Amino acid sequence: MKKPRLGIFKLTSCDGCQLSILNLEEELLRVVELFSLSFFPVASDKELSGYFDLALIEGSISEPRQREEVISVRERSRYLITIGACATSGGLQALKNWAVLESFKKSVYPDPALIESLSTSTPVSDHVYVDFEIWGCPVTGDALSETLACFLLDKRPTIPQYSLCMECKRKAIPCILVSEGEPCLGPITRAGCGALCPSFSRACYGCFGPRDDANIDSLMRWFEKSGYSGTERQRLLDTMNTYAYRRVQIEKKD
Amino acid sequence: MKRRINVKYLSRVEGEGALIIEIRNNEVEKVDLRIFEAPRFFEPILKGRPFQDVIDFTARICGICPVAYQMSAVHAIEAAMGVSVPQPVHDLRRLMYCGEWIESHALHVHFLHGPDFFGMESAWSDRDYGHIAQRGMKLKGLGNEILALLGGRPVHPLSVRPGGFFRWPEKKELYQLLPDLEKGFDLSLECISWAVSLFEGEEEIKDTGDFMVSLHNPDSYAMNTGTVCTSEGITYSMGEFTKVIEEYQVPHSNALHTGIKTGPTPRPYMVGPLSRINMSFTSLPEKVKSTVQQGGISLPLVDIRMSIIARCIEISYALHEAINIIQGYDGIAAYVHVEPKEGKGLWITEAPRGMLIHSYEFDRKGNVVTARIIPPTSQNLAHIEKSLRNYIESNHHLSTKALRRGCEDIIRSYDPCISCSVHLIDLTEGKS
Repeated sequence: MKKPRLGIFKLTSCDGCQLSILNLEEELLRVVELFSLSFFPVASDKELSGYFDLALIEGSISEPRQREEVISVRERSRYLITIGACATSGGLQALKNWAVLESFKKSVYPDPALIESLSTSTPVSDHVYVDFEIWGCPVTGDALSETLACFLLDKRPTIPQYSLCMECKRKAIPCILVSEGEPCLGPITRAGCGALCPSFSRACYGCFGPRDDANIDSLMRWFEKSGYSGTERQRLLDTMNTYAYRRVQIEKKD
Repeated sequence: MKRRINVKYLSRVEGEGALIIEIRNNEVEKVDLRIFEAPRFFEPILKGRPFQDVIDFTARICGICPVAYQMSAVHAIEAAMGVSVPQPVHDLRRLMYCGEWIESHALHVHFLHGPDFFGMESAWSDRDYGHIAQRGMKLKGLGNEILALLGGRPVHPLSVRPGGFFRWPEKKELYQLLPDLEKGFDLSLECISWAVSLFEGEEEIKDTGDFMVSLHNPDSYAMNTGTVCTSEGITYSMGEFTKVIEEYQVPHSNALHTGIKTGPTPRPYMVGPLSRINMSFTSLPEKVKSTVQQGGISLPLVDIRMSIIARCIEISYALHEAINIIQGYDGIAAYVHVEPKEGKGLWITEAPRGMLIHSYEFDRKGNVVTARIIPPTSQNLAHIEKSLRNYIESNHHLSTKALRRGCEDIIRSYDPCISCSVHLIDLTEGKS
């Protein structure tokens, strides 16, 4: 059987999700055997050409050239899957969506005119059809290998859509929201990391983005009662998945 | 006669960059390392955020070296808040840094740079390279294990906070790492000999790395502390150093360049493993030193391509140091509460790629007023262009194809992290 052609693309991002692919270690060497790794510039000189059976995209769209790039990747690919918070929800850099771009540019570059940047950072799904999304900042190795294995078996990956609280309960971690009054985003956040922060006695800060049907307002009312100001509450949501959390808030209001 | 080298997309480096070189009648007319990686505007994003966010956000500047960002940030925050932490916190931070050095260097040596020496396009394009790739995976895995244990995960760990850690590991957990780390140390010595052998019969490329800068400590290999030293013997405090360097914008790059202010134009300098090895070789453990000396390598290393040897030496050092720290670990939790307050703080640590400078100003609630981050790669950019120029000037007799390969090799030797380099920059009022 011909090996499926796999392409791994990068837009605006930190390379951490691509590194999570390289961190698969032993499994990576299996991936290299089972797929024809046809485009992966961070690890190989092979140039972009032809079509892909599966494209993985890391990074958000924050520059004009990337809009064309992502359309070209879509046209070349049978399946397109986004990996990580940037590609799936715009990333931390989407905080510029709620600011004035010119002032951002001026605060960073002595000559802002040389910098070509869109006023927004948006997920890939705002631009082209996406077949499947893997959330997380960064994505986990388990989610990546599950997705790649499912692709080979022609089956939809089973990646949890429920809240992080389920993982805490399963691991018998005492609820730090209830017992410590910590502003934990667990109830509105997608499971998948293995409840890492709560297991470090730390409140979840939302690396995996909003779970399906997240009731953000209810959690925010809880935080309000615990004494968190409006600015503080908004800051909790405005991190790597700011665009996704804010979107859920707006959609609920409609 | 005019020749042009055009590398549209640099591969096996982190981030997006291109290279354009123009040579007319054997004179180099243009060397542009074009950084087209999209900027993410971290400094304005940080404005108004509480200090914990500085640690979690700046980690997202780079998925390959998040710990470096967390280390420079946490020390700068503690400096601003006037807090000093107990020795066990310093030790665990150093252990965490060891994890990142091992992970980042093992990746670069075996997967990004190694293939250049065998004319391969990737670490898996030739079966004969398989055992080398395997070794890289093993070493990289050890670094990741340290990071996962201390930080929850290797990419964007979540345990670091001002005053200490969110979770204090148990003695037993750390001790369990020892047998693998000891095996890893032996493997890393092999790695050094292998890297040295790559240069057998090779002509040294002179003058590709000349003006070097790194942190230095009299009694230990510098990671989180030290004074800034240059290869010409000048010493600066961290604060003084940030005053003698100048950042400037060039039209072909989304990343600012950096140089030391000496004459009319800022002088390019080099940071990273090669600088560190040359500056601190004497503080390496005997076993590591003797392995290097047996290979017939003499210091200082000036051929930038030999930074692969420097990285292997540092993998070895980091494993040795990790073992030492774990053996001295008593498992007694240490944490100092840090009260947010007004203040300014600046710190430099040694990221795998060289000195990473963070400087912040906080308001009375401990929220960011100004932020300035200068990653190692933007400090190196001007020096990379200089290295390329020197290389071409003494090798213009080579074919364009060979020159192109040589240039790519030099760029990769610096292990540039392009995603880092475009997120530097300045929010200080004078400049904005």
